[in-house]
Amino acid sequence: MDISKHDYLEKVLESHKMKHVSDFVSKHKTKRDEIKSELQSNYTGKIYVPINSGSYAKHTAINIKFDLDIIVPFKRDAFETLEEMFDSVYDFLYEKYKDKATVRKQKVSIGLEFYPDEDGEVINLDIVPGRELNQDKYLEDKKLNLYVNTLYGVLKEKTYIQTNIQAQIDHITAKENERKKIRLLKAWKHHNRETYKSFLLELLVIKAFDQANIDGNLWEKLKKTMEYIQNNVNQEGFTLKDPGNSGNNVIDTLNTNERQKLSDTMKRIIENIEANDDNIKIYFPINEKFEETDTQRGYGIKTASASVSIPPNNTRFGL
Amino acid sequence: MKFFNQHKQVSLIIEETLLKKISQIGIEKYPYETGGFLVGYYSDDSMTLYITDYLLPHKQKGMAYLFERSIDGMKQVFKNLFDRQKHFYIGEWHTHPNGSCMYSSTDLNAMIEIANCETVNITNPVLLILSITEKQVKDFTFSIYNNKGLHPYE
Repeated sequence: MDISKHDYLEKVLESHKMKHVSDFVSKHKTKRDEIKSELQSNYTGKIYVPINSGSYAKHTAINIKFDLDIIVPFKRDAFETLEEMFDSVYDFLYEKYKDKATVRKQKVSIGLEFYPDEDGEVINLDIVPGRELNQDKYLEDKKLNLYVNTLYGVLKEKTYIQTNIQAQIDHITAKENERKKIRLLKAWKHHNRETYKSFLLELLVIKAFDQANIDGNLWEKLKKTMEYIQNNVNQEGFTLKDPGNSGNNVIDTLNTNERQKLSDTMKRIIENIEANDDNIKIYFPINEKFEETDTQRGYGIKTASASVSIPPNNTRFGL
Repeated sequence: MKFFNQHKQVSLIIEETLLKKISQIGIEKYPYETGGFLVGYYSDDSMTLYITDYLLPHKQKGMAYLFERSIDGMKQVFKNLFDRQKHFYIGEWHTHPNGSCMYSSTDLNAMIEIANCETVNITNPVLLILSITEKQVKDFTFSIYNNKGLHPYE
């Protein structure tokens, strides 16, 4: 490979940035704001201000597959049951948007997939209704119960799940190091058609940084993160606590075989890349749609907006 | 003072008084090299850089042909600067006593390291080199870093 693995991964990250699809993001935001407003009008007195969630809110989004999530927090006495809440929001959105979008019930959300617009672009939004755990306590504790529509994994007998979306967002706030590796693993997941949940990868990366000594350049950090996953994900007793609900061990969404497979996959990726640098392109491809080929005009920044920069230490200049 | 970089089609604006202050610091340290950080902000369209100030490192080593600066004690300074004014680190400056204002391989390697640094949020840091003598600045050059190269402003 003619450039270092570090430089290559920087290009991978650059090509997956949301700034390349800013017009598309704007369309999503406009539609999101419209839906939030409609919900607030329809459920006046029963609802708190809807909040933005998902990968975009957590700054872990990549531009390959993208949607926006809205959490809709209802008051405890707004509905008798969580199912009633879920159905009510579905019915409302269906009536409102049935001519403009496919509206469908999902696991904990209602998905709206708008028909292609004049540019052929499809806007996707996930609306997650939740009911506060205790009457009038949401603003204080941010705790919500979500209705679980599609049953899966360990939640087979459950029809609801307690969560704290704000805690999930806060968990990744101000962790740019972790976010870079999350974006890279999400790029790997999408390009290699892996089915692991993004939330699972997110928690694995954060735990790796918390538990292991993750340092070095971008490749070295990614490698150490993957090594942590390889060495731990298949271990008995390994836990992955959901910051929104400490009783929810997210690793339990994978069975023993799936955990071993993830461990083996991480091992294989590391070995293959170490054997031949060029293999990194297979696992972490550049999004060619936005590959920087010619010199781009203007000053560049690495994140969506300006922020603090701390230059490296002990830098030498001289004649 | 306004400078233009053809390579990136960008402008750089700095007050003459600020440049004079930096020059004076360089002359005072003659015959040793000295330097520091440049701070500022970009225009909304990212086509113009406004250099608003310089910062001196708390720790530095200056020799006739070498300048090494530390960031010890500087992190909070950068954070405060951004919190209060939204101004941020945009590059570096240093002197070449009795030398030209052309960058050296040491300078280029330093800029590569800076651009690749994970805690640096800009991809095109600038470098100001002042060629100085005992009493005056003979010349100076601003360059912009991009894709492992330094490209001077005119």
